[in-house]
Amino acid sequence: MKEDSLWTNIFRKQSSEETDTLNVLKKIPLFQDLSRRELRQLERILHQRTYKQNEVIFNEGQPGVGMYIIDSGEVHITLGPEKKVLAVLTKGDFFGEMALLLEAPRTASAIAAKPTKLYGFFQPDLFSILETFPRTGNKILLRLSQMIAERLRHSNLENQELRKKLNSLTKREH
Amino acid sequence: MDVTVNRFLKILLAILFLAALIWVLIKLSNIITIFIIGALLAYILDPITSFLEYKGLTRMQATSLVFLALALFLFLFIYFFVPLVIDQVKVIQHSFSSGQGTEAIRRMERALKENIPLLKNANLDITTKINEAINHFSNSLFSLVGSLISLITTLVVIPFVVFFLLKDGRNIKKGLVSIIPNRYFEMTLNLLYKTDQQIGGYLRGQFFDAAIIGFLSIIALWILHVPYFLLIGTFAGLANMVPFVGPLTGAIVAILVVFLSNGTINQMIMVAAAFGIIQLLDNVLVQPLVVAGSVQMHPLIVLFAVIIGGQFWGIMGMFLAVPAAAVIKVLVVELYKMYLSFNTSS
Repeated sequence: MKEDSLWTNIFRKQSSEETDTLNVLKKIPLFQDLSRRELRQLERILHQRTYKQNEVIFNEGQPGVGMYIIDSGEVHITLGPEKKVLAVLTKGDFFGEMALLLEAPRTASAIAAKPTKLYGFFQPDLFSILETFPRTGNKILLRLSQMIAERLRHSNLENQELRKKLNSLTKREH
Repeated sequence: MDVTVNRFLKILLAILFLAALIWVLIKLSNIITIFIIGALLAYILDPITSFLEYKGLTRMQATSLVFLALALFLFLFIYFFVPLVIDQVKVIQHSFSSGQGTEAIRRMERALKENIPLLKNANLDITTKINEAINHFSNSLFSLVGSLISLITTLVVIPFVVFFLLKDGRNIKKGLVSIIPNRYFEMTLNLLYKTDQQIGGYLRGQFFDAAIIGFLSIIALWILHVPYFLLIGTFAGLANMVPFVGPLTGAIVAILVVFLSNGTINQMIMVAAAFGIIQLLDNVLVQPLVVAGSVQMHPLIVLFAVIIGGQFWGIMGMFLAVPAAAVIKVLVVELYKMYLSFNTSS
């Protein structure tokens, strides 16, 4: 006998969809310190967006105000007019988090390579969560600072390496 | 040929649709005004609700609490304040119909003619002019209030609108934002945020500023035994939203009333000094605290907006003109900035 899909499935699907969203959010480093209740507060603020295949999410050089989290699908991060692919991102990955703190032009373009569902988390949302739920907001902010500090440390190391190479090259020329 | 006919049909349909939309909007203008007033009130009260939410209440509890406080305030206001205002209006009406007021105005006319040589031979006829003005004012008041039924609808609908916008405003906004196409989504969100930041501060600042000035004026006029102190004080508070002209009008009305009610020169000077002190307090203490960091509106823009609003939509238009002008200003400035940054990037 066929199951009565009208009642039984809808609720099961809804609750599993909700836990699915929370699971996706929980895996994002930015939100990993948040409790389930705080994640639910966050989920209420996030914007869900759907993109068709090959639809542009944002273009390089345009002013950006926030980050995107991939719920499903695939996103290509590309650079320059020749659209050189820098990274291929899938479910649970995120991009554009620098724009949460700094309203600066995007340094690369993002294009949906497949039909894609994203969660948008933007500067205004961060500020609003900091005002209404400061504990939640502070946890996100602290993680964000740690991630950016880590990235700074990484580029400092790279910078040192490059400087060493440059020094040895100039010495060899002399 | 076919293409041009198609194009023509499309344009015709678009024009018809636009005309129908405008017709519907005009027909619904009363309801739209009520909705705008409700939205403005909800917008002004939003930070208080958010603060209660931050203190640990749910949005529903916070909204209910704000609403209860508001209901209590309104009840007290209607219970104590409205009968007093009605009494004062009755006294004004009585003094005009009994000729007491007219006599005072004639006295003022005589005094003006004696003291200002330029007016010696002019026919001032202030009495008729004031009578006309009072008639005009009460007419526009009646047109504002409309029939009793629409008044009751207004009184029932506005609290409903305020309550639901306060409780669900965030979700409604999110729902509306979700309709926006992906291309413009991020830009719109940013624009909304920036507009909110500047307009919110400005509107709340103006609202609280008017309330404080009105309250101080009422107290000062009451202490100085000025008749109709409630009416004049309320008027001074509301007029304060219009820079320069507003406070001056409030003071002039108060001094005029003292003069007409056989007040002494001393009392008039005291009233003028009281308004001066209130303005000083406003400029030094209140304004920098409540209006800081929001959109800067040139006094001329505010003045023109109020005149235009009054011309088209009467008293209600005058009150809604300032926020409308602020919204338009911020939108234009922010859109222009975005246009520049998008253009330089592509």
